[in-house]
This record gives sequence, structure tokens and C-alpha cells, in this order.
Amino acid sequence: MQYAKGFTISYVAGGKLVTILSPFEQKTTATRYLLVPRGAGRPAGYADAHVIETPLRSLVALSSMHVALADFLGAADLVVGLGSFKYASAAPVRQRIAAGKIYEVGQGKELNNEELIAHHPDLVMATGWPGESLARFQTLEAAGVPVMINSEWVETTPLARAEWVKVLAALLNKEDLVNRKFDQVARSYHRLAALGHYAAQRPKVVVGLPFKDVWYVPDTDSYLTQFLRDAGCTYAWDQARAPSGSLALSFETVAPVALTADYWLQTGTAATKADILAQDARYAAFAPFQTGRVYNNNRRTNAQGSNDYWESGAVRPDLVLSDLIKILHPELLPSWQLYYYQWLK
Amino acid sequence: MSTAQLAAAPPSLVAAGRRRTAWLLALAGLVALGFVLDIALGPVRIPLAAVVKILLGQAADNPAWAFIVREIRLPKALTALAVGSGLAVSGLQMQTLFRNPLAGPSVLGLTAGAGLGVAAVMLAGGSGAAGGFAIRALGVGGSWGLVLAATAGAALVMALVMALSARVRDNVVLLIVGLMVSSVTGAIVGLWQYFSAPEQIQEYLLWTFGSLGGVVGPHLVVLAAVVTVGLGLAFASAKPLNALLLGENYARSMGLTVGRARTSIILSTSLLAGAITAFCGPIGFVGIAVPHLTRGLLRTADHRVLLPGACLVGAALTLGCDCLAQLPGSQTVLPLSIVTSLLGAPVVLWVVLRRNSVRSSFS
Repeated sequence: MQYAKGFTISYVAGGKLVTILSPFEQKTTATRYLLVPRGAGRPAGYADAHVIETPLRSLVALSSMHVALADFLGAADLVVGLGSFKYASAAPVRQRIAAGKIYEVGQGKELNNEELIAHHPDLVMATGWPGESLARFQTLEAAGVPVMINSEWVETTPLARAEWVKVLAALLNKEDLVNRKFDQVARSYHRLAALGHYAAQRPKVVVGLPFKDVWYVPDTDSYLTQFLRDAGCTYAWDQARAPSGSLALSFETVAPVALTADYWLQTGTAATKADILAQDARYAAFAPFQTGRVYNNNRRTNAQGSNDYWESGAVRPDLVLSDLIKILHPELLPSWQLYYYQWLK
Repeated sequence: MSTAQLAAAPPSLVAAGRRRTAWLLALAGLVALGFVLDIALGPVRIPLAAVVKILLGQAADNPAWAFIVREIRLPKALTALAVGSGLAVSGLQMQTLFRNPLAGPSVLGLTAGAGLGVAAVMLAGGSGAAGGFAIRALGVGGSWGLVLAATAGAALVMALVMALSARVRDNVVLLIVGLMVSSVTGAIVGLWQYFSAPEQIQEYLLWTFGSLGGVVGPHLVVLAAVVTVGLGLAFASAKPLNALLLGENYARSMGLTVGRARTSIILSTSLLAGAITAFCGPIGFVGIAVPHLTRGLLRTADHRVLLPGACLVGAALTLGCDCLAQLPGSQTVLPLSIVTSLLGAPVVLWVVLRRNSVRSSFS
């Protein structure tokens, strides 16, 4: 793969071999999936690999990111099950929910195994978490329902994260389509990043909204930090490292940065400046709050409360970067209309 | 004790009185020291001279320092004072009222009730079974929403306990009622958590760790006012508390209206524990540990000494724990509740083992 480090795809005799690396284990463990054409037998070798017949006809998506992968490939009608109806923004998927064509299977550890086994989807795509392996899905595996762990969120760059769409493409035999579409996104992203890197000004940004004493900010390996770098700004924790991808800082540590920042981005669920103030009146002292440069990534939040930034934004990093450059350097993209972000009044 | 009796008091009693006064003065000094340290120490290094200048209202060399001292550290230290003294006094009252060394502000189910209120705002309105209670969707977000919810939860439990205490004459039964109420509210919160999204659970979990950092401006004024009223009620109950130490029947024979005293004590505890939990989240251990520590230090069972003593010990302990929670030199903060428990438990063990008998304080 060009960007992603969490998986590999190789073409072998009689099928494709997808290897998913688990970044959470002490020693990196890999789960291998053998993708074979429907009806064809299992090729020799790869005894440890889980077999999935392709192309997929039905998919259960446990994360909104997985919905985005399907929608990106024009395969939203493949989605037959979701962790929760709440977390889906893609119009075709919402239509299918309204038409009663999708079942809900619960999130996290509380999967409704009976429902899954009764429907027997071609694949369940799950999100990987530290300390959990495929072992928690052994009931499903035993019942012949294949489960794939998709840990896209631990990738360290936006493009690497988006590249996970190639895994689903391999499962759908849509490699040509994905290469064409993903290359387009990547080209567009690089063009924008070049704009950001050569921007004359490097405004100071502060990210996130604290809860009581704790202010989580992305660390150097977070894809969000890469977004900020590519958008051409000064970010105080650009080089800081944390084991979990974000630093849990005290309010006092972040406050000096926030007091003098030029922009304040990603302010939780707030839709107005009043929402921010309602949480803590001290935020009014921050420079971006006073100059009115507060932007949140929740413009595309639907009636169910699901934010499309976390869904399609994962596979369209070019749109996210366009937004960030428009916010930080409006003169560079004069005609761009904000897509995921909104200015907080 | 009448004046004539006091005048005839043996020299040993007078010496003990002097010793207690000395202890109280020393404790007040300790609180003052803790207060200054809590403002002076933090993840961001600010020279002590600059801190003093800022506190005196002079212009600071660095505007960020002024913001940190005035808007972050000072309200936090003041909150620590209110939390420490309030929880300690409510714990002391509970232990005396129930004549049980294990009692604390959480035993009446008040903390659990507040937690239930907060969970209703943070967790309910998620998916599944809790969908019918979409409180969050009504827009009761923000910090006042949380405070109101926690207060409502605590008040609901308080009303229940008050109603039961009018019927139930036995304090042990009341203690069991409190524990059962905690159990039920805990189960409801658990059910909500089961059906909630991970990010909602994380938010709730952060709340349960307890924090002094979110109480500023009008919040601090309200918290201080409620704690002052609660402490006032408690100090007014010093004599009834002394009488209750010897048992309700004895107290009654001394002419105490036990029912009224009990109501006043429960009301004071509810105000203190309810408001503090509402604003700061559940802060473990101060309520149960400080009364033991105070009795150990002052060697008295007289609430006229114990109540101010508990205020001071509670405030000093909370300020000290907050200094530790901020881990000077580190950019992270530890949850206060964890620090108070880690530090509090060994201290109580030490006091209890040294005295070898706690029971003597309650009979």
C-alpha cells in the first residue's frame, strides 16, 4: 500500500490474501483473510487464514467509517446491518434504514450474535480496540460468519486512513474503481497540501474542548495533526508523543496556547459560541473566541445526531483539508464553500 | 458543663483544652499553607513572586500567568476549601447520627442520587431501552444542566430518605435504606451505560472521577453559598450531635427533640454532599476519612471541637491532594478522587491502628 501501514493485499494463486496487522498487541499479530471467488474451492496453503467468498453480497458495518467505505465504492446497498441506526449519514443507507432493509446489531461488546447468525451476512466489519482481538468474535466465527477487524483510526495520516477503502474494494472485486477514485482523492489532497505548506502565514491553532480538568489534544502521530501540518498552521503539540494518539493535558497547560491562538477548531458538539460559553465562561477569554475565529466540524450533523465528518470525512481527506485551508488561509481557496466545518456564531 | 463546673475543672482538662486550641491553630496554618501551595504549584511554572503579584491584583508580566492564577488556580483552591470542609463535616455528622464509623456522605445514597441525575443527562437519550428518556435531546446540556440534574437526583433521594426517616425510627435501618437506594440507582446507571455509546460513557466516567476544575464564576458563588448554609446548620447541631453520641434514648432523656435534630442533620448533610457532588462529581474518601483523622488528632468526642477540626483537616487534605493531583512538572492531571483515596486510606489505617479501638468514640 502507498500510505496505510495497517494492512497488505497480495494476489495469490486462486485468490487474494488480505493481512490485517493488529497494532495493539505486544508483538504485532496479523490476521490473514483469503478472498476466494464464490463457489471456488479453498486453495492449498494459508491454513491459518479465514476464508471469505467474493464478491461480498451483504455487509454488516459496526462503525460509521465502514458505511463510508461502502458508500465511496457505490456499494451502500450492500449494507444489511449496522451497529446502531444512529450512526449513519450516507443518503442511500438512510433510505435503506427507512425502508426497513437494515437490522441493528448493537455496538461494542454487546453484539447481538443471534441476530447476526440468523441473518448470516457475508462479512461483519468491526473496529479494533487495544487489548481486544478477534477472539471476542469466536461465536460468530464458529457459526461461519466471517469477521474482519478494521483498525483504520490508528493510521497516522489522513490518506493512510482513507486507503482502507482498498480492503473493501478487494472484497467487492472493485480494484479498478477504487484505484481510480482513491488516486483522485490522493492527487487532490497532495495539491492542497502543497498550497498549505507554502502558505505565507502560519496561524496558531488550538484544537478540542476540555471537559473539567482534562483537555485531549492530538499528538504527533495523530492523523488530525497531519491535517494541521498540511493545512499550514502552527500547532503547539506537533511533536508531542502519547501512547494513545492523544495527550490528556490539564486545562492549565493548554490555556496559555488557547489565550493567544488565532483559530480554535473542533469544539466538541457545540454549534454556537453560546454553547461553548454554557460549558465554561472562562472560554470567553480565549483570543479566537473574541475575534470570532471558532470553527467546528459538525456542519453535516443529521437529525439523528450523526456527524458525517466521522463518516465520509474519513474517505474524503481532500474535502477536510480544503475546509481547513479555507479556514486558515481564506485567500488560497477563495471559492471553496465549507463542507464539514462551520463557523460558530 | 456550667461555668462553675468549668472553673473547678481539673488542670488536666484545662491542659487538654489548650492542646486542642493549639491543634486547631496549627491546622488553620496548614490550610493556609495548602491554599498558597495549591495556587503556586501547577503544570505551568509560575514564579512565586508573580503569583503573589497577580493575587494582589497587580499587572502580571505574562498575561497567560494572570489567567492561570486568577481563572484556574484560585477558583480551584477555593473549591477545594468548600469541598474539603463540606464533605468532612457531612461525614462527621453521618458517623455520629448512625453511630457507625463506616458511615459517610455517600451512605444515604446522596452521591448515588446525584450520579443518577448526571447519568440521566449524559447517558439517557442514547439508543435502545433508554431512548424514551431523551433528556439530552431536550437541550439540557452545558454545565448548569449537569449541576441541576445532579442536585435533582440528590434531592430526590433526600426526599425519599427524609420520608422514610419519619417512619423508620431505627438509624441502622435508615443506613440500610441508603445502601439499597445506592444499589438501585447504581443499577439504573449501569443499565444506561450498557445501552450508551462509548464516548458518552467516557464523558460520564470522567465525571465520576471527580474534579475541582469546572467550578468557576457563578458556580463557585452558588457552591460557596450552599456549603456555608450547610456548615451553619451543622455547627448549630453541635450540641444535639454530642447528645446523640450517647444514643437516642439518652439524648431524649436529656430533653433533645430527636426527630427535629435528625431532620436538621440529614438536611445539612444533603445540602453539603449533594451540592459538592453536583458541582465536582463524587469525591471519594474525604467524607469517611477526615472525621477519623480529626478524632485521632484532637482526641475528643466533643462536636464543638470536632466540627471546626473536621473543616480544617478536610480543607487541608483536599488542598494537599489537589497539589498532588496536578503533578508539578507534568502536563497531565490525575483524577482527584483517586488521589484522595490513595492518600486517605493509609492515613485512616494508621490512625485507627494506632488507637486500636474506634468503637470507643461512638459509645
